[in-house]
Amino acid sequence: MQIVEPLQVAIDELSKLPSIGRKTAQRLALHILKSDEEVVESLVKVLHELKSKIRICSVCYNYSIDDNCDICNNQKRDRSFICVVEEASDIISIERTNEYQGLYHVLGGVLSPLSGKGTESLKIKELIQRLESDEIKEVLLAINPDTEGEATSLYLAKLIKPLGVKVSRIARGLPIGGDLEFADDATIGRAVIGRSYL
Amino acid sequence: MILERLALSNFRLHKNTELNFSENLNYIVGGNGQGKTTILEAMYFLCTTRSLNQASDNEALNFDERFFEITGAFRDTVKNKIRIYYDLDTNKKSVFLNDKQVNRASTLIGKFPVVTLTQSDHSITLGAPADRRKFVDSVISQSSETYLKILLDYNRTLRQRSSLLSQIKESNNRYLLSQLEAWTETLINSGSEIVKHRIKFIKTFQEYIENSYQRVMEGKEKPSVYYSFYGELDENMIDEKFRDELKERYNDELRRATNLVGPHRDDFIFTINEHEIRKFGSQGQHKTFQIALRFGEFFYLKNVRSIVPIFLMDDVFGELDTNRSRKISEYLNDIGQAFITMTDFTNFKHLQKTENDLVLNVNNGKAAYA
Ligand SMILES: [Zn+2]
Repeated sequence: MQIVEPLQVAIDELSKLPSIGRKTAQRLALHILKSDEEVVESLVKVLHELKSKIRICSVCYNYSIDDNCDICNNQKRDRSFICVVEEASDIISIERTNEYQGLYHVLGGVLSPLSGKGTESLKIKELIQRLESDEIKEVLLAINPDTEGEATSLYLAKLIKPLGVKVSRIARGLPIGGDLEFADDATIGRAVIGRSYL
Repeated sequence: MILERLALSNFRLHKNTELNFSENLNYIVGGNGQGKTTILEAMYFLCTTRSLNQASDNEALNFDERFFEITGAFRDTVKNKIRIYYDLDTNKKSVFLNDKQVNRASTLIGKFPVVTLTQSDHSITLGAPADRRKFVDSVISQSSETYLKILLDYNRTLRQRSSLLSQIKESNNRYLLSQLEAWTETLINSGSEIVKHRIKFIKTFQEYIENSYQRVMEGKEKPSVYYSFYGELDENMIDEKFRDELKERYNDELRRATNLVGPHRDDFIFTINEHEIRKFGSQGQHKTFQIALRFGEFFYLKNVRSIVPIFLMDDVFGELDTNRSRKISEYLNDIGQAFITMTDFTNFKHLQKTENDLVLNVNNGKAAYA
């Protein structure tokens, strides 16, 4: 098999992407090769900006262009309400439902002694600081309901309740072992509305 | 549920075997090492995606080959086809239900209920608590997806918690104790659910074991099953009891860096006329009890799931006296579809064989209809 080198390299790189197999990678590479110059340049520019322009919000650790993200800056959102999620990508899932109007806080993972993840590797200290200084009345824990998520939720509830802040968690409508990322919007929406208090 | 067809490629001795079965009794006859048990193994593999004797997947591979494949066609109210493909190079097993790949094998468990009776069942009545837990867990898991999920969660929590206990012991970091508290609560949550399921199961199962024991062994002997530790506890007291125990063993757990409290240490007590058979049972009583447990499991699953399980019996008749084997063969007529291996059919003329039954001769990985 002999494929012209830049094409082969492109296929190799594309197939490193999640859920892209060799065949799809080849199709994408050939499609890009056949596309107009400006289409390709625009794609390159978009990808480059994705990496260079986006950083992490210094308040909630969401993806952001400025120091503070659009959600933290939006004065119309309910500033007494924080939804705690594992990863910034979970915010996208919850925002898509249009059911939630409060603020967010990205933990950056869950407790997992087996993979060496303890409280210090999560943004827990930062969450508590926000609860102490801001006018937060309720925290909604939207952490995946698996074993590690369960332990993390219980840990956080124990920490937050003495501060006089209400703690709730999303309803367990999510499919068994289901991640927020893979649940459909309606399911997430129902889970956010039907929260239960800890 | 009926297993209509089975096809094996490179599965142990079976390079290429295709079989159609009777919906009643299927006798699979052959000498030792000829590949008759392999046929049962393949059926068990299809229903549970796991090996019967907990061998690793590559052990089931034929020596000269790079892959094995098992395909089975089931019939119930609907038809279902399961295919399992194992690839040696990637050491990966893929499971397909009606040609669609199944991502989590655990989602299949219980949908195709299977009951086995093998020589290794002696460990259920004679062996360690872990052997009895394995029996109980596998019956409840096949009857309840919720239980299976809780069990997986609980085992995961045990691993996480013991890892944290080790970290606490090594680092002497008191700060980690607040995390331990969270893992302890998680353990109590799923552990209590397991205990509740087990209590409910043992209560229901008592009737099944009594019935099947009577069928195998006529007489005045009364079998019972007890759940040792939490047996008599009121349901809403379980959390509390669990928490108290954990408090009591807290320092021990920290010192030994192990999970010392919980349903992973439970035992079940089997008795005949209130005598624990592990200690006092005769060889015959053990055998009868093991058979009764499996028949009890069969009828329990049949009732709970409303699907008739398939019954796999591996080389059981060889060690039974004529009286017991006649009783069992009578009992088998109530079962539905069963697969029974034996070394020599001529010694079992007393087994009832109707014209619907099928006899297969297996020789060096090849099967022929008798
Ligand atoms: Zn933000």
